[in-house]
Amino acid sequence: MKNNLSKLLIALLFIFTTSLAHTEQLTIAIAANLKYVFDDLAIEFKKETGIESQSVLNSSGKIATQIRNGAPFDVFMSADMEFPDGLYKDGYATTAAKPYAYGQLVLWTMKDIDLTRGVAGLADSSVVKVAIANPKLAPFGKQALKALDYYKVRAAIEPKLVYADSITQVSQYLDSKAAEVGFSAKSIVVAPEIAGKGKWVEVPPEAYNAIAQGMVILKHGSEVNRDAAVKFYEFILSAKAREIFAKNGYQLP
Amino acid sequence: MIIDWQPLLLTFKLASVTTAILLCIGLPFAWWLANSKMRFKPVIETLVSMPLVLPPSVLGFYLLLAFSPAYWFGQWLDRVAGLRLAFSFEGLVVASTIFSFPFLVHPIQAAFQNLPRSLTDAALVLGKSQWQIFTRVLLPNIKPALLSGTVLAFAHTLGEFGVVLMIGGNLPNQTRVASIAIYDEVESLNYAAANVYAGVLFLVSFLILLAVYWLNRRAAK
Repeated sequence: MKNNLSKLLIALLFIFTTSLAHTEQLTIAIAANLKYVFDDLAIEFKKETGIESQSVLNSSGKIATQIRNGAPFDVFMSADMEFPDGLYKDGYATTAAKPYAYGQLVLWTMKDIDLTRGVAGLADSSVVKVAIANPKLAPFGKQALKALDYYKVRAAIEPKLVYADSITQVSQYLDSKAAEVGFSAKSIVVAPEIAGKGKWVEVPPEAYNAIAQGMVILKHGSEVNRDAAVKFYEFILSAKAREIFAKNGYQLP
Repeated sequence: MIIDWQPLLLTFKLASVTTAILLCIGLPFAWWLANSKMRFKPVIETLVSMPLVLPPSVLGFYLLLAFSPAYWFGQWLDRVAGLRLAFSFEGLVVASTIFSFPFLVHPIQAAFQNLPRSLTDAALVLGKSQWQIFTRVLLPNIKPALLSGTVLAFAHTLGEFGVVLMIGGNLPNQTRVASIAIYDEVESLNYAAANVYAGVLFLVSFLILLAVYWLNRRAAK
């Protein structure tokens, strides 16, 4: 039996390794708010250069930690300037953080809740739980807290807060009705995959610091995929990419 | 709807490689443990069993520190062998081997211990070598345990999540195994894809365990 088993295992191994033989491509670590716009960017980038780019999505803070621990990403598109700047200063990135878009904070609900009063309306008793992305790891969560401060409702709302791993997990908390209202990114709520799910309002820009989203080429990228990484970097700053960002709920630098 | 089958393929690849390595290491180890009269045996048995009770995040955290090129062990591995275990398939294999070790070793060790001593003695008297006794006498007599150990280790690796989450980094074709892909798809509200992955894992796990119970019942008769 042992013989048969090892034969089977070797056969399986063979099948799997051949089926996974992979083609050369870029790996882009992206902040969760880029979830939907990235597909459009990757398609256009492929059309222009023929280079495949795959994304790995997480909160910006988690990506930064993974990079410091050796994650093999080529380019990092963050949701802020701080995380990529820190990586550059400590030698994990080869270019300084360059802003490519400004994210916009929105309030989003999938229940019958009146959002016309904006952030101040969250103090209402019909709102039991408010979902935000973990402010330590996700810039959008950090700015959501700023907005609570701005409207002087933080003390009242804090007990209602539930913390998601990233801005995309906020969507899941709302969709499962685990939370009534959540702070999300405009780029998420305007995405075709999401459109029509609940309703949303923009948080007025004076209530939080502009979410400048920065990008860096990482050490791994400039060592292993230099040409492709630089091409991708330049593409993200090109007129065509700006058009895609603008269409997907971002403001431009 | 387009389903990306890579996470499932990757999961089965990880489980197969891990189980193959576990068999090579775990089988002799279980035999040694069953026969050992060492004073420190309880300490070694405890270490082997630790993954059963430790939160996966503890193991994941230590492995991340061990694998990361930011610390001395990871640096040393990188320099000497050019190996980067954090956020790579190889790293997942090492982690799963540690994590699933007790699932393979426990049943096999117990089976070795329950074999009557007279079996080995009789074979010795008949002039068989240690190796012949091991492969021709002992192994055939612990078939059911060998099967359950192998299958449990395989099934347990299929279901691994916490450790992979911490040291995997969700890289397509590298570390995005099915359990991670489910988490990802649910977050993206793509419940259809999550359902497919979850359904396949559920079905495969069920069939694997059913097969073990079935075969063990037949062996017991």
